[in-house]
Amino acid sequence: MNKTMGILMIVLALVIAIVPIFTDCLANGRSLTTADGRSVPMKCHWTAIAEIGLAVPLLFVGVFNLTSKRKETFRALNLIGLALGALVILFPTVLIGVCANAAMPCNMIEKPALILSGILVMGASLVTLAGSRSFIEPVAA
Amino acid sequence: MSAFQLALKNISGNAFRNGVVSLCALLLSAFALFTTLVIRGAESSLRLTIDRLGADIVVVPEGSEAKIESALLMGIPARFWMPADHVNKIAAIPGVGVVSPQLYLATLTGADCCSVSDMFMIAYDPASDFTIQPWLEEELGNGLRVGEVVGGSYISATEGEQNIKLYGYLVTLKENLEPTGTGLDQTMFLTFDTAYDIASKSEFQAESPLIIPPDSISAALIKVKPGSDPQDVALQIIQNVPGVTPIESSDLFQSYRKQMTGLLKSILVILSVTWGLSVVLIGLVFSMAANERRKELGVLRALGATRRFVFQSLLAEASLLAFFGGITGLAVASMAIFLFRKLIMVSLEIPFLLPSPVSLLIQIGAGLLLALFSVNLAALFPAFKISRQDPAVAMRE
Repeated sequence: MNKTMGILMIVLALVIAIVPIFTDCLANGRSLTTADGRSVPMKCHWTAIAEIGLAVPLLFVGVFNLTSKRKETFRALNLIGLALGALVILFPTVLIGVCANAAMPCNMIEKPALILSGILVMGASLVTLAGSRSFIEPVAA
Repeated sequence: MSAFQLALKNISGNAFRNGVVSLCALLLSAFALFTTLVIRGAESSLRLTIDRLGADIVVVPEGSEAKIESALLMGIPARFWMPADHVNKIAAIPGVGVVSPQLYLATLTGADCCSVSDMFMIAYDPASDFTIQPWLEEELGNGLRVGEVVGGSYISATEGEQNIKLYGYLVTLKENLEPTGTGLDQTMFLTFDTAYDIASKSEFQAESPLIIPPDSISAALIKVKPGSDPQDVALQIIQNVPGVTPIESSDLFQSYRKQMTGLLKSILVILSVTWGLSVVLIGLVFSMAANERRKELGVLRALGATRRFVFQSLLAEASLLAFFGGITGLAVASMAIFLFRKLIMVSLEIPFLLPSPVSLLIQIGAGLLLALFSVNLAALFPAFKISRQDPAVAMRE
Protein backbone atom coordinates (compact mmCIF):
# COMPACT_ATOMS: atom_id res chain seq x y z
CA MET A 1 0.00 0.00 0.00
CA ASN A 2 2.82 2.40 0.95
CA LYS A 3 4.57 1.75 -2.36
CA THR A 4 1.37 2.34 -4.35
CA MET A 5 0.80 5.62 -2.52
CA GLY A 6 4.46 6.56 -3.05
CA ILE A 7 4.10 6.05 -6.82
CA LEU A 8 0.81 8.00 -6.77
CA MET A 9 2.54 10.90 -4.98
CA ILE A 10 5.39 10.95 -7.52
CA VAL A 11 2.86 11.07 -10.38
CA LEU A 12 0.89 13.82 -8.61
CA ALA A 13 4.08 15.81 -7.94
CA LEU A 14 4.84 15.70 -11.68
CA VAL A 15 1.27 16.77 -12.51
CA ILE A 16 1.49 19.64 -10.00
CA ALA A 17 4.79 20.83 -11.47
CA ILE A 18 4.00 20.42 -15.17
CA VAL A 19 0.25 20.99 -15.77
CA PRO A 20 0.05 24.60 -14.43
CA ILE A 21 2.99 25.77 -16.54
CA PHE A 22 1.19 24.68 -19.74
CA THR A 23 -2.30 25.80 -18.70
CA ASP A 24 -1.75 29.25 -17.22
CA CYS A 25 -2.82 32.30 -19.21
CA LEU A 26 0.76 33.16 -20.21
CA ALA A 27 1.15 29.77 -21.91
CA ASN A 28 -2.06 30.55 -23.81
CA GLY A 29 -0.72 33.89 -25.01
CA ARG A 30 -2.54 36.13 -22.54
CA SER A 31 -0.85 38.72 -20.34
CA LEU A 32 -1.52 42.12 -18.82
CA THR A 33 -0.28 45.23 -20.60
CA THR A 34 0.87 47.99 -18.25
CA ALA A 35 0.47 51.73 -18.90
CA ASP A 36 4.04 51.91 -20.23
CA GLY A 37 3.31 49.12 -22.72
CA ARG A 38 5.08 46.25 -20.97
CA SER A 39 3.55 42.76 -20.91
CA VAL A 40 3.24 41.36 -17.38
CA PRO A 41 2.15 37.77 -16.56
CA MET A 42 -1.13 37.45 -14.65
CA LYS A 43 -1.28 35.93 -11.18
CA CYS A 44 -2.12 32.44 -12.45
CA HIS A 45 1.46 32.31 -13.77
CA TRP A 46 2.92 33.06 -10.32
CA THR A 47 0.68 30.33 -8.87
CA ALA A 48 2.15 27.93 -11.46
CA ILE A 49 5.70 28.91 -10.42
CA ALA A 50 4.88 28.53 -6.71
CA GLU A 51 3.44 25.07 -7.36
CA ILE A 52 6.83 23.93 -8.74
CA GLY A 53 8.25 24.84 -5.33
CA LEU A 54 5.70 22.51 -3.74
CA ALA A 55 6.09 19.73 -6.29
CA VAL A 56 9.82 19.24 -5.57
CA PRO A 57 9.47 18.34 -1.85
CA LEU A 58 6.36 16.31 -2.72
CA LEU A 59 8.43 14.30 -5.20
CA PHE A 60 10.89 13.51 -2.38
CA VAL A 61 8.00 12.49 -0.09
CA GLY A 62 6.88 10.07 -2.81
CA VAL A 63 10.38 8.66 -3.37
CA PHE A 64 11.03 8.23 0.37
CA ASN A 65 7.66 6.51 0.75
CA LEU A 66 9.00 3.91 -1.68
CA THR A 67 12.34 3.44 0.08
CA SER A 68 11.59 3.96 3.79
CA LYS A 69 11.31 1.06 6.18
CA ARG A 70 10.63 2.78 9.50
CA LYS A 71 7.22 3.53 10.95
CA GLU A 72 8.32 6.94 12.29
CA THR A 73 9.69 7.95 8.89
CA PHE A 74 6.34 7.12 7.25
CA ARG A 75 4.51 9.21 9.82
CA ALA A 76 6.81 12.23 9.38
CA LEU A 77 6.79 11.95 5.57
CA ASN A 78 3.05 11.76 5.31
CA LEU A 79 2.43 14.59 7.75
CA ILE A 80 4.61 16.67 5.40
CA GLY A 81 2.61 15.25 2.46
CA LEU A 82 -0.62 16.33 4.15
CA ALA A 83 0.67 19.88 4.61
CA LEU A 84 2.00 20.04 1.05
CA GLY A 85 -1.35 18.80 -0.30
CA ALA A 86 -3.15 21.55 1.62
CA LEU A 87 -0.74 24.17 0.21
CA VAL A 88 -1.26 22.85 -3.34
CA ILE A 89 -4.96 23.70 -2.88
CA LEU A 90 -4.38 26.99 -1.04
CA PHE A 91 -2.06 28.60 -3.64
CA PRO A 92 -4.60 28.81 -6.50
CA THR A 93 -7.58 29.46 -4.21
CA VAL A 94 -6.46 31.74 -1.36
CA LEU A 95 -2.76 32.55 -1.17
CA ILE A 96 -2.11 33.75 -4.75
CA GLY A 97 -5.21 32.86 -6.78
CA VAL A 98 -5.85 32.78 -10.51
CA CYS A 99 -7.50 35.21 -12.95
CA ALA A 100 -11.02 36.48 -12.14
CA ASN A 101 -12.62 35.57 -15.47
CA ALA A 102 -14.17 32.10 -15.27
CA ALA A 103 -13.65 31.55 -19.01
CA MET A 104 -9.82 31.89 -18.79
CA PRO A 105 -7.79 28.67 -19.28
CA CYS A 106 -6.31 28.99 -15.79
CA ASN A 107 -9.82 28.82 -14.32
CA MET A 108 -10.88 25.96 -16.54
CA ILE A 109 -7.81 23.70 -16.23
CA GLU A 110 -5.02 24.97 -13.94
CA LYS A 111 -7.08 25.68 -10.82
CA PRO A 112 -9.30 22.54 -10.90
CA ALA A 113 -6.29 20.33 -11.74
CA LEU A 114 -4.39 21.71 -8.74
CA ILE A 115 -7.35 21.38 -6.37
CA LEU A 116 -7.97 17.77 -7.47
CA SER A 117 -4.25 16.94 -7.21
CA GLY A 118 -4.08 18.53 -3.74
CA ILE A 119 -7.07 16.50 -2.55
CA LEU A 120 -5.52 13.30 -3.93
CA VAL A 121 -2.15 14.10 -2.28
CA MET A 122 -3.91 14.62 1.05
CA GLY A 123 -5.92 11.42 0.55
CA ALA A 124 -2.78 9.41 -0.29
CA SER A 125 -0.98 10.84 2.77
CA LEU A 126 -3.90 9.99 5.04
CA VAL A 127 -4.11 6.42 3.69
CA THR A 128 -0.35 5.93 4.20
CA LEU A 129 -0.56 7.47 7.69
CA ALA A 130 -3.40 5.11 8.60
CA GLY A 131 -1.51 2.17 7.07
CA SER A 132 1.70 3.03 8.93
CA ARG A 133 -0.03 2.26 12.25
CA SER A 134 -0.04 -1.46 11.43
CA PHE A 135 3.30 -1.40 9.57
CA ILE A 136 5.71 -4.09 10.74
CA GLU A 137 9.33 -2.95 10.55
CA PRO A 138 11.75 -5.50 9.02
CA VAL A 139 14.13 -7.06 11.52
CA ALA A 140 17.79 -6.13 10.93
CA ALA A 141 20.02 -9.10 9.99
CA MET B 1 -14.67 -16.11 12.44
CA SER B 2 -17.42 -14.89 10.12
CA ALA B 3 -17.26 -14.98 6.29
CA PHE B 4 -16.88 -11.19 6.29
CA GLN B 5 -13.92 -11.26 8.73
CA LEU B 6 -12.24 -13.98 6.67
CA ALA B 7 -12.77 -11.92 3.51
CA LEU B 8 -11.29 -8.83 5.18
CA LYS B 9 -8.17 -10.80 6.15
CA ASN B 10 -7.86 -12.33 2.68
CA ILE B 11 -7.97 -9.07 0.76
CA SER B 12 -4.95 -7.72 2.63
CA GLY B 13 -2.81 -10.52 1.15
CA ASN B 14 -3.21 -10.29 -2.64
CA ALA B 15 -2.16 -6.93 -4.04
CA PHE B 16 -2.48 -7.85 -7.75
CA ARG B 17 -6.03 -9.22 -7.54
CA ASN B 18 -7.14 -6.39 -5.25
CA GLY B 19 -5.61 -3.81 -7.57
CA VAL B 20 -7.21 -5.17 -10.76
CA VAL B 21 -10.68 -5.76 -9.28
CA SER B 22 -10.76 -2.41 -7.45
CA LEU B 23 -9.49 -0.60 -10.54
CA CYS B 24 -12.23 -2.16 -12.70
CA ALA B 25 -14.88 -1.22 -10.14
CA LEU B 26 -13.35 2.27 -9.90
CA LEU B 27 -13.38 2.86 -13.66
CA LEU B 28 -16.84 1.40 -14.15
CA SER B 29 -18.51 3.42 -11.37
CA ALA B 30 -16.60 6.62 -12.23
CA PHE B 31 -17.51 6.39 -15.92
CA ALA B 32 -21.16 5.59 -15.16
CA LEU B 33 -21.49 8.51 -12.72
CA PHE B 34 -19.62 10.92 -14.97
CA THR B 35 -21.81 10.22 -18.00
CA THR B 36 -25.04 10.22 -15.98
CA LEU B 37 -24.18 13.57 -14.43
CA VAL B 38 -23.31 15.13 -17.80
CA ILE B 39 -26.42 13.85 -19.61
CA ARG B 40 -28.88 14.56 -16.78
CA GLY B 41 -27.19 17.89 -16.07
CA ALA B 42 -27.54 18.88 -19.74
CA GLU B 43 -31.24 17.98 -19.71
CA SER B 44 -31.96 20.02 -16.57
CA SER B 45 -29.87 22.88 -17.94
CA LEU B 46 -31.98 23.06 -21.13
CA ARG B 47 -35.19 22.87 -19.08
CA LEU B 48 -34.03 25.66 -16.74
CA THR B 49 -33.01 27.90 -19.63
CA ILE B 50 -36.47 27.54 -21.21
CA ASP B 51 -38.08 28.24 -17.81
CA ARG B 52 -35.80 31.27 -17.28
CA LEU B 53 -36.75 32.67 -20.68
CA GLY B 54 -40.37 32.29 -19.67
CA ALA B 55 -41.54 32.79 -23.25
CA ASP B 56 -43.90 30.53 -25.19
CA ILE B 57 -42.48 31.69 -28.52
CA VAL B 58 -39.22 33.45 -29.45
CA VAL B 59 -39.31 35.34 -32.76
CA VAL B 60 -35.97 35.88 -34.51
CA PRO B 61 -34.96 37.01 -38.02
CA GLU B 62 -35.07 34.20 -40.59
CA GLY B 63 -31.84 32.16 -40.56
CA SER B 64 -30.86 33.15 -37.00
CA GLU B 65 -32.28 30.08 -35.23
CA ALA B 66 -28.89 28.41 -34.66
CA LYS B 67 -27.29 31.69 -33.55
CA ILE B 68 -29.85 32.31 -30.80
CA GLU B 69 -29.47 28.75 -29.54
CA SER B 70 -25.66 29.12 -29.35
CA ALA B 71 -26.01 32.51 -27.66
CA LEU B 72 -28.48 31.38 -25.00
CA LEU B 73 -26.88 28.01 -24.36
CA MET B 74 -23.16 28.65 -24.76
CA GLY B 75 -22.95 32.45 -24.34
CA ILE B 76 -21.50 32.85 -27.84
CA PRO B 77 -22.31 36.46 -28.78
CA ALA B 78 -24.89 36.76 -31.57
CA ARG B 79 -25.67 39.81 -33.67
CA PHE B 80 -28.81 39.84 -35.82
CA TRP B 81 -31.45 42.45 -36.41
CA MET B 82 -35.04 42.86 -37.53
CA PRO B 83 -37.24 45.97 -37.70
CA ALA B 84 -38.58 47.12 -34.31
CA ASP B 85 -41.94 47.60 -36.02
CA HIS B 86 -42.38 43.80 -35.99
CA VAL B 87 -43.29 44.07 -32.29
CA ASN B 88 -46.51 45.97 -33.14
CA LYS B 89 -47.36 43.53 -35.94
CA ILE B 90 -46.87 40.56 -33.61
CA ALA B 91 -48.85 42.21 -30.78
CA ALA B 92 -51.82 42.61 -33.16
CA ILE B 93 -52.02 38.85 -33.82
CA PRO B 94 -54.89 37.19 -31.93
CA GLY B 95 -53.71 34.98 -29.07
CA VAL B 96 -50.56 37.00 -28.35
CA GLY B 97 -50.57 38.11 -24.70
CA VAL B 98 -47.30 40.02 -24.18
CA VAL B 99 -44.49 40.82 -26.64
CA SER B 100 -41.14 41.94 -25.30
CA PRO B 101 -38.30 43.01 -27.61
CA GLN B 102 -34.64 42.28 -26.86
CA LEU B 103 -31.35 43.51 -28.30
CA TYR B 104 -28.40 41.11 -28.52
CA LEU B 105 -25.04 42.86 -28.18
CA ALA B 106 -21.46 41.89 -27.40
CA THR B 107 -18.35 43.49 -25.95
CA LEU B 108 -15.25 43.97 -28.10
CA THR B 109 -12.59 41.27 -28.39
CA GLY B 110 -9.33 42.00 -26.55
CA ALA B 111 -9.99 45.76 -26.20
CA ASP B 112 -8.88 47.77 -23.16
CA CYS B 113 -12.18 49.68 -23.16
CA CYS B 114 -14.05 46.47 -22.22
CA SER B 115 -13.35 44.66 -18.91
CA VAL B 116 -14.51 41.34 -20.39
CA SER B 117 -13.69 40.25 -23.92
CA ASP B 118 -16.45 39.02 -26.25
CA MET B 119 -19.20 38.92 -23.62
CA PHE B 120 -22.82 38.37 -24.68
CA MET B 121 -25.17 41.17 -23.54
CA ILE B 122 -28.97 41.17 -23.62
CA ALA B 123 -30.75 44.53 -23.54
CA TYR B 124 -34.43 44.34 -22.56
CA ASP B 125 -37.37 46.71 -22.51
CA PRO B 126 -38.43 47.16 -18.83
CA ALA B 127 -41.96 48.24 -19.86
CA SER B 128 -42.83 44.91 -21.51
CA ASP B 129 -40.24 42.50 -20.11
CA PHE B 130 -41.51 39.39 -18.34
CA THR B 131 -38.18 37.54 -18.08
CA ILE B 132 -35.69 39.69 -16.13
CA GLN B 133 -37.94 42.31 -14.50
CA PRO B 134 -40.01 39.98 -12.25
CA TRP B 135 -36.80 38.45 -10.91
CA LEU B 136 -35.28 41.88 -10.29
CA GLU B 137 -38.37 43.13 -8.46
CA GLU B 138 -38.25 40.05 -6.28
CA GLU B 139 -34.52 40.42 -5.52
CA LEU B 140 -33.90 44.18 -5.59
CA GLY B 141 -37.37 45.60 -5.00
CA ASN B 142 -37.18 47.65 -8.20
CA GLY B 143 -35.88 47.60 -11.75
CA LEU B 144 -32.56 48.78 -13.16
CA ARG B 145 -31.66 52.44 -13.66
CA VAL B 146 -29.49 53.77 -16.48
CA GLY B 147 -25.91 52.54 -15.95
CA GLU B 148 -26.97 49.54 -13.85
CA VAL B 149 -26.72 45.92 -15.01
CA VAL B 150 -27.48 42.41 -13.80
CA GLY B 151 -25.07 39.58 -14.55
CA GLY B 152 -25.32 35.82 -14.97
CA SER B 153 -23.67 33.83 -12.20
CA TYR B 154 -20.19 34.08 -13.83
CA ILE B 155 -20.25 37.86 -14.31
CA SER B 156 -18.17 39.69 -11.72
CA ALA B 157 -16.53 43.08 -11.38
CA THR B 158 -12.78 43.42 -10.81
CA GLU B 159 -11.82 42.63 -7.21
CA GLY B 160 -12.59 45.54 -4.87
CA GLU B 161 -14.70 47.37 -7.47
CA GLN B 162 -18.37 47.35 -8.34
CA ASN B 163 -18.04 48.67 -11.87
CA ILE B 164 -17.49 46.88 -15.17
CA LYS B 165 -16.16 48.73 -18.21
CA LEU B 166 -18.20 48.30 -21.41
CA TYR B 167 -17.02 50.30 -24.43
CA GLY B 168 -15.25 52.68 -22.01
CA TYR B 169 -18.55 53.17 -20.08
CA LEU B 170 -18.63 52.13 -16.43
CA VAL B 171 -21.72 50.12 -15.50
CA THR B 172 -22.64 49.03 -11.96
CA LEU B 173 -23.26 45.33 -11.37
CA LYS B 174 -26.35 45.24 -9.12
CA GLU B 175 -26.91 41.52 -8.74
CA ASN B 176 -26.08 38.08 -10.15
CA LEU B 177 -28.69 35.61 -11.38
CA GLU B 178 -28.85 32.03 -10.11
CA PRO B 179 -26.69 29.64 -12.20
CA THR B 180 -28.38 27.82 -15.08
CA GLY B 181 -25.31 26.01 -16.38
CA THR B 182 -25.80 27.69 -19.77
CA GLY B 183 -24.60 30.75 -21.64
CA LEU B 184 -27.00 32.85 -19.57
CA ASP B 185 -24.46 32.50 -16.75
CA GLN B 186 -21.94 34.47 -18.84
CA THR B 187 -24.47 37.00 -20.08
CA MET B 188 -25.01 40.56 -18.92
CA PHE B 189 -28.52 42.02 -18.79
CA LEU B 190 -29.16 45.75 -19.19
CA THR B 191 -32.06 48.00 -20.14
CA PHE B 192 -32.57 49.50 -23.62
CA ASP B 193 -31.80 52.96 -22.12
CA THR B 194 -28.41 51.78 -20.80
CA ALA B 195 -27.61 50.10 -24.14
CA TYR B 196 -28.42 53.29 -26.10
CA ASP B 197 -26.44 55.39 -23.57
CA ILE B 198 -23.39 53.11 -23.98
CA ALA B 199 -23.77 53.24 -27.77
CA SER B 200 -23.94 57.05 -27.88
CA LYS B 201 -20.89 57.51 -25.61
CA SER B 202 -18.88 54.67 -27.13
CA GLU B 203 -18.08 56.83 -30.17
CA PHE B 204 -15.75 58.89 -27.97
CA GLN B 205 -14.78 56.43 -25.21
CA ALA B 206 -14.27 53.09 -26.95
CA GLU B 207 -11.68 51.72 -29.36
CA SER B 208 -14.57 50.91 -31.67
CA PRO B 209 -18.18 52.13 -31.18
CA LEU B 210 -21.14 50.00 -30.15
CA ILE B 211 -23.43 50.04 -33.15
CA ILE B 212 -27.15 49.46 -32.68
CA PRO B 213 -28.99 49.90 -36.00
CA PRO B 214 -31.83 52.45 -35.59
CA ASP B 215 -35.34 51.08 -35.04
CA SER B 216 -34.03 47.53 -34.81
CA ILE B 217 -34.37 44.69 -32.36
CA SER B 218 -32.76 41.24 -32.24
CA ALA B 219 -35.64 39.10 -30.99
CA ALA B 220 -39.16 39.30 -29.63
CA LEU B 221 -40.24 37.11 -26.71
CA ILE B 222 -43.92 36.21 -26.68
CA LYS B 223 -46.22 34.99 -23.95
CA VAL B 224 -49.50 33.73 -25.43
CA LYS B 225 -52.88 34.46 -23.83
CA PRO B 226 -54.22 31.72 -21.52
CA GLY B 227 -56.13 29.17 -23.60
CA SER B 228 -54.34 30.03 -26.86
CA ASP B 229 -52.32 27.41 -28.67
CA PRO B 230 -48.67 28.56 -29.18
CA GLN B 231 -48.53 26.51 -32.42
CA ASP B 232 -51.50 28.44 -33.91
CA VAL B 233 -49.95 31.76 -32.84
CA ALA B 234 -46.62 30.74 -34.40
CA LEU B 235 -48.39 29.87 -37.69
CA GLN B 236 -50.12 33.25 -37.75
CA ILE B 237 -46.78 35.01 -37.14
CA ILE B 238 -45.30 33.24 -40.17
CA GLN B 239 -48.30 34.34 -42.28
CA ASN B 240 -48.45 37.96 -41.06
CA VAL B 241 -44.84 38.96 -40.37
CA PRO B 242 -42.44 38.32 -43.26
CA GLY B 243 -38.74 37.55 -42.73
CA VAL B 244 -39.02 36.11 -39.24
CA THR B 245 -38.99 32.65 -37.67
CA PRO B 246 -41.10 31.93 -34.58
CA ILE B 247 -39.53 29.24 -32.37
CA GLU B 248 -41.86 27.58 -29.88
CA SER B 249 -40.25 26.95 -26.48
CA SER B 250 -40.75 23.19 -26.97
CA ASP B 251 -38.73 23.42 -30.22
CA LEU B 252 -35.92 25.52 -28.75
CA PHE B 253 -32.45 23.97 -28.71
CA GLN B 254 -33.41 21.16 -31.11
CA SER B 255 -29.87 20.94 -32.49
CA TYR B 256 -28.50 20.54 -28.96
CA ARG B 257 -31.11 17.93 -28.17
CA LYS B 258 -30.08 15.97 -31.28
CA GLN B 259 -26.42 16.33 -30.27
CA MET B 260 -27.27 15.05 -26.79
CA THR B 261 -29.21 12.07 -28.18
CA GLY B 262 -26.21 11.19 -30.37
CA LEU B 263 -23.86 11.56 -27.42
CA LEU B 264 -26.12 9.44 -25.22
CA LYS B 265 -26.15 6.62 -27.80
CA SER B 266 -22.33 6.66 -28.10
CA ILE B 267 -21.92 6.73 -24.33
CA LEU B 268 -24.31 3.81 -23.87
CA VAL B 269 -22.31 1.75 -26.38
CA ILE B 270 -18.98 2.64 -24.68
CA LEU B 271 -20.47 1.95 -21.23
CA SER B 272 -21.80 -1.45 -22.33
CA VAL B 273 -18.42 -2.42 -23.84
CA THR B 274 -16.54 -1.22 -20.73
CA TRP B 275 -18.97 -3.08 -18.48
CA GLY B 276 -18.66 -6.31 -20.49
CA LEU B 277 -14.85 -6.16 -20.56
CA SER B 278 -14.66 -5.35 -16.84
CA VAL B 279 -16.91 -8.28 -15.91
CA VAL B 280 -14.81 -10.67 -18.07
CA LEU B 281 -11.53 -9.32 -16.63
CA ILE B 282 -12.73 -9.52 -13.03
CA GLY B 283 -14.04 -13.04 -13.70
CA LEU B 284 -10.63 -14.11 -15.05
CA VAL B 285 -8.76 -12.57 -12.12
CA PHE B 286 -11.09 -14.27 -9.63
CA SER B 287 -10.71 -17.60 -11.42
CA MET B 288 -6.91 -17.29 -11.25
CA ALA B 289 -7.00 -16.30 -7.58
CA ALA B 290 -9.47 -19.06 -6.72
CA ASN B 291 -7.29 -21.68 -8.48
CA GLU B 292 -4.22 -20.45 -6.61
CA ARG B 293 -6.11 -20.82 -3.34
CA ARG B 294 -7.55 -24.29 -3.96
CA LYS B 295 -5.40 -25.90 -1.27
CA GLU B 296 -6.12 -23.17 1.23
CA LEU B 297 -9.88 -23.42 0.63
CA GLY B 298 -9.62 -27.22 0.75
CA VAL B 299 -8.04 -26.98 4.21
CA LEU B 300 -10.80 -24.61 5.25
CA ARG B 301 -13.43 -27.15 4.12
CA ALA B 302 -11.56 -29.98 5.88
CA LEU B 303 -11.60 -27.94 9.09
CA GLY B 304 -15.38 -27.84 8.95
CA ALA B 305 -16.26 -24.82 6.86
CA THR B 306 -19.39 -25.43 4.81
CA ARG B 307 -19.64 -24.87 1.03
CA ARG B 308 -21.97 -22.01 1.76
CA PHE B 309 -19.37 -20.41 4.10
CA VAL B 310 -16.60 -20.62 1.44
CA PHE B 311 -18.96 -19.30 -1.22
CA GLN B 312 -20.07 -16.42 1.03
CA SER B 313 -16.50 -15.49 2.01
CA LEU B 314 -15.46 -15.30 -1.68
CA LEU B 315 -18.44 -13.11 -2.56
CA ALA B 316 -17.78 -10.97 0.52
CA GLU B 317 -14.22 -10.43 -0.77
CA ALA B 318 -15.61 -9.40 -4.15
CA SER B 319 -18.10 -7.04 -2.51
CA LEU B 320 -15.43 -5.42 -0.34
CA LEU B 321 -13.13 -4.83 -3.32
CA ALA B 322 -16.04 -3.48 -5.38
CA PHE B 323 -17.04 -1.20 -2.51
CA PHE B 324 -13.56 0.30 -2.02
CA GLY B 325 -12.94 0.67 -5.76
CA GLY B 326 -16.44 2.00 -6.39
CA ILE B 327 -16.34 4.56 -3.58
CA THR B 328 -12.93 5.84 -4.75
CA GLY B 329 -14.10 6.06 -8.37
CA LEU B 330 -17.33 7.83 -7.44
CA ALA B 331 -15.51 10.32 -5.21
CA VAL B 332 -12.93 11.12 -7.92
CA ALA B 333 -15.63 11.39 -10.64
CA SER B 334 -17.78 13.71 -8.48
CA MET B 335 -14.81 15.95 -7.71
CA ALA B 336 -13.62 15.95 -11.33
CA ILE B 337 -17.04 16.85 -12.70
CA PHE B 338 -17.49 19.58 -10.10
CA LEU B 339 -14.03 21.09 -10.68
CA PHE B 340 -13.79 20.66 -14.47
CA ARG B 341 -17.41 21.55 -15.25
CA LYS B 342 -16.54 24.57 -17.36
CA LEU B 343 -13.89 22.68 -19.36
CA ILE B 344 -16.31 19.80 -20.03
CA MET B 345 -18.97 22.28 -21.18
CA VAL B 346 -16.59 23.98 -23.58
CA SER B 347 -15.09 20.71 -24.87
CA LEU B 348 -18.39 18.88 -25.43
CA GLU B 349 -20.22 22.08 -26.42
CA ILE B 350 -23.05 21.03 -24.13
CA PRO B 351 -24.13 23.06 -21.11
CA PHE B 352 -24.96 21.22 -17.95
CA LEU B 353 -26.06 21.97 -14.43
CA LEU B 354 -24.78 20.17 -11.35
CA PRO B 355 -27.45 18.11 -9.58
CA SER B 356 -28.87 18.82 -6.13
CA PRO B 357 -27.09 17.05 -3.22
CA VAL B 358 -29.98 14.56 -2.86
CA SER B 359 -29.96 13.73 -6.57
CA LEU B 360 -26.15 13.38 -6.48
CA LEU B 361 -26.38 10.97 -3.52
CA ILE B 362 -28.97 8.89 -5.37
CA GLN B 363 -26.73 8.74 -8.45
CA ILE B 364 -23.69 7.84 -6.30
CA GLY B 365 -25.76 5.06 -4.71
CA ALA B 366 -26.73 3.77 -8.16
CA GLY B 367 -23.06 3.84 -9.26
CA LEU B 368 -22.05 1.87 -6.17
CA LEU B 369 -24.79 -0.70 -6.80
CA LEU B 370 -23.57 -1.07 -10.40
CA ALA B 371 -19.99 -1.71 -9.17
CA LEU B 372 -21.19 -4.22 -6.53
CA PHE B 373 -23.48 -6.02 -8.99
CA SER B 374 -20.80 -6.22 -11.72
CA VAL B 375 -18.02 -7.53 -9.47
CA ASN B 376 -20.32 -10.04 -7.74
CA LEU B 377 -21.63 -11.22 -11.10
CA ALA B 378 -18.06 -11.76 -12.33
CA ALA B 379 -17.02 -13.55 -9.12
CA LEU B 380 -20.16 -15.71 -8.96
CA PHE B 381 -19.03 -18.55 -11.24
CA PRO B 382 -15.44 -18.95 -9.87
CA ALA B 383 -16.78 -18.76 -6.29
CA PHE B 384 -19.47 -21.35 -7.03
CA LYS B 385 -17.00 -23.68 -8.75
CA ILE B 386 -14.33 -23.53 -6.05
CA SER B 387 -16.84 -23.95 -3.22
CA ARG B 388 -18.21 -27.15 -4.84
CA GLN B 389 -14.85 -28.94 -5.11
CA ASP B 390 -13.98 -31.90 -2.94
CA PRO B 391 -11.61 -30.83 -0.10
CA ALA B 392 -9.52 -34.04 -0.33
CA VAL B 393 -8.89 -33.53 -4.06
CA ALA B 394 -8.14 -29.83 -3.57
CA MET B 395 -5.56 -30.46 -0.85
CA ARG B 396 -3.84 -33.25 -2.82
CA GLU B 397 -3.29 -31.11 -5.96
